[in-house]
Amino acid sequence: MEILIYGAVTSAIYAMLAVGFTLIFGVARVLNLAHGSFYALGAYGTYVGTGILGLPLWQAAVLAIAFVALFGVIVEKVLIRPLRYSQLGVLMITLAVSLVVEQALFLIFGSEYRNVPAFIDTKLSIGGVDVAGQRLLTLLVAVVSIGALYLFIQRTRLGSAILAISQDAEAAKYMGIPSDRIFSLVMAISASLAALAGVLAGPFLSVQPSMHLLPIVKAFAIVIVGGLGSIPGSILAALMLGYAETLVAYLVSTSWTEIVSVLATLLMLVFRPAGFFGKRAAF
Amino acid sequence: MSGFKQLDKLSGAAGATALLLLAAAPLVFPGTYLIGVLTVAAIYGIWAVSWDFMSGLTGRENFGHSLFIGVGAYAAGFLNVQMELGPWWSLPVSMLLAMGFAVLLGFPTLRLKGPYFALAMLSAAVIMQRLMLIFWEHTGGEEGIQDIAPLIRNHLHYYWFVLALLGVITFLLGWLARSRWGLILRAIRGDEATCLAAGIPITTYKIVSLVISAAFAGLGGALYAHYQLQVSPQLFAVVTSVTIITMVYVGGMGTIFGPVGGALLLTLLTEGLRNVGEWRLMVYSVLLILIIFFLPDGVIAPLWRRLRVAVGGKP
Repeated sequence: MEILIYGAVTSAIYAMLAVGFTLIFGVARVLNLAHGSFYALGAYGTYVGTGILGLPLWQAAVLAIAFVALFGVIVEKVLIRPLRYSQLGVLMITLAVSLVVEQALFLIFGSEYRNVPAFIDTKLSIGGVDVAGQRLLTLLVAVVSIGALYLFIQRTRLGSAILAISQDAEAAKYMGIPSDRIFSLVMAISASLAALAGVLAGPFLSVQPSMHLLPIVKAFAIVIVGGLGSIPGSILAALMLGYAETLVAYLVSTSWTEIVSVLATLLMLVFRPAGFFGKRAAF
Repeated sequence: MSGFKQLDKLSGAAGATALLLLAAAPLVFPGTYLIGVLTVAAIYGIWAVSWDFMSGLTGRENFGHSLFIGVGAYAAGFLNVQMELGPWWSLPVSMLLAMGFAVLLGFPTLRLKGPYFALAMLSAAVIMQRLMLIFWEHTGGEEGIQDIAPLIRNHLHYYWFVLALLGVITFLLGWLARSRWGLILRAIRGDEATCLAAGIPITTYKIVSLVISAAFAGLGGALYAHYQLQVSPQLFAVVTSVTIITMVYVGGMGTIFGPVGGALLLTLLTEGLRNVGEWRLMVYSVLLILIIFFLPDGVIAPLWRRLRVAVGGKP
């Protein structure tokens, strides 16, 4: 039972990170190494809002997410767009951005761990297992937000524009879809999902300047396993990885959890580089 | 070897002069501080040139070069402290071990197109750093391995040893880059599909280049371990790779000698900026962004080209 719940929470966080990461790749063919920074900035933004500005938590959270979305759009417009012709250029620039963010956080806040308040402090008991309310909330919000995103993409006009670009960017342009505006929108969505994950996971995971690294590694592993650019693939892979890590943590030791993602990545790259849902099922 | 182009005299002379000047610098300005800075600069030079050989020539950027460096350094630490072998064992063993890792990681990732390689190497380096912390009983955790014996006790002699290795490695890789082998690597950078169509086994070429690159990175790691006399997980950090990549970008990608110049220049510059302390990495990251945007060919290689034309050499 513990495995079931904790695995679900871990998977939910991974899914929020991976869906945004794969979305921006699927649409703009941008591999965004600064994705982890959005997560970190979300957590730090909430910390600043509540701890320094003294805002109520939900206001701080909303502000932090809005700020990160704006930051994402600016990074995309100013730094990524001119280099979009070269994938390696994009990788370099986003890696540099992530380091600038890390260093800025380090210079401003120092390297010590920060506390982000939880939305729910009480513990709930499910089937004889005590679970922090915050973890359950994370799970709930993740399911709702990813579900909403899925509906948005499948059902709305803007969503079908996103789909069209991901299938064939050039043809979409000829149909009069303003691709640059769509890219900004997707970047904003992707950044705010990562920030949301940071806001929600902040209270029970560590908040410090280099926190952006593991999420990007995990998101990458998930996206490889699920197939680059596929949202259902990354949700499935997030579930697999989340449960696999929780299982390993319970059965073997927590030390070995980090190995899971690397092993999964390497095996997948050797045997099925396209991932479970690569290319064919773009969404 | 067919297609082998003689290293032109002008570049050779310039390289030799630069090496001699660097070797003589501590004699002119005595002091252990300068020797230390120059030793570190030379080791960074080895790392930068080894990165450039694989990534600069083939255009497959390696975001996890720190992995090979860390493996080499930890190999030196383990052999020397835990297994109590003589320090000279470190050099060959660290090279072999780094080469092993290169085969292990290169085989699954370099067969693929696109950016998988860069990302997989980044992940692998991050995970290795975590592993060093997780298995702290064996690796010493955050503190790393202490009390590594020096290779050569005299600091000046050690500096000369490292500098000589840098010269040899740069010459060797420069020669390889100008040979048929290097030509194929450049061709891979240009167009993989055409190379495949011409019957070139591009994956083999890429993996062997990564192995060569890793060998020298590992060697540099061991040299660094025997200079610092300790190793720490920080060696595996992404910033180590990014520092090296910045040096290569400053020097000029794919030019082999450029990155060595970039490494020397940046190490000396940042030593000069010691008092900016914690801003150092920030400066590196911002510098990297600026260079990507405004000087995609780097600084040192284009300058040298212009200089050579000015004194009447071939462009």
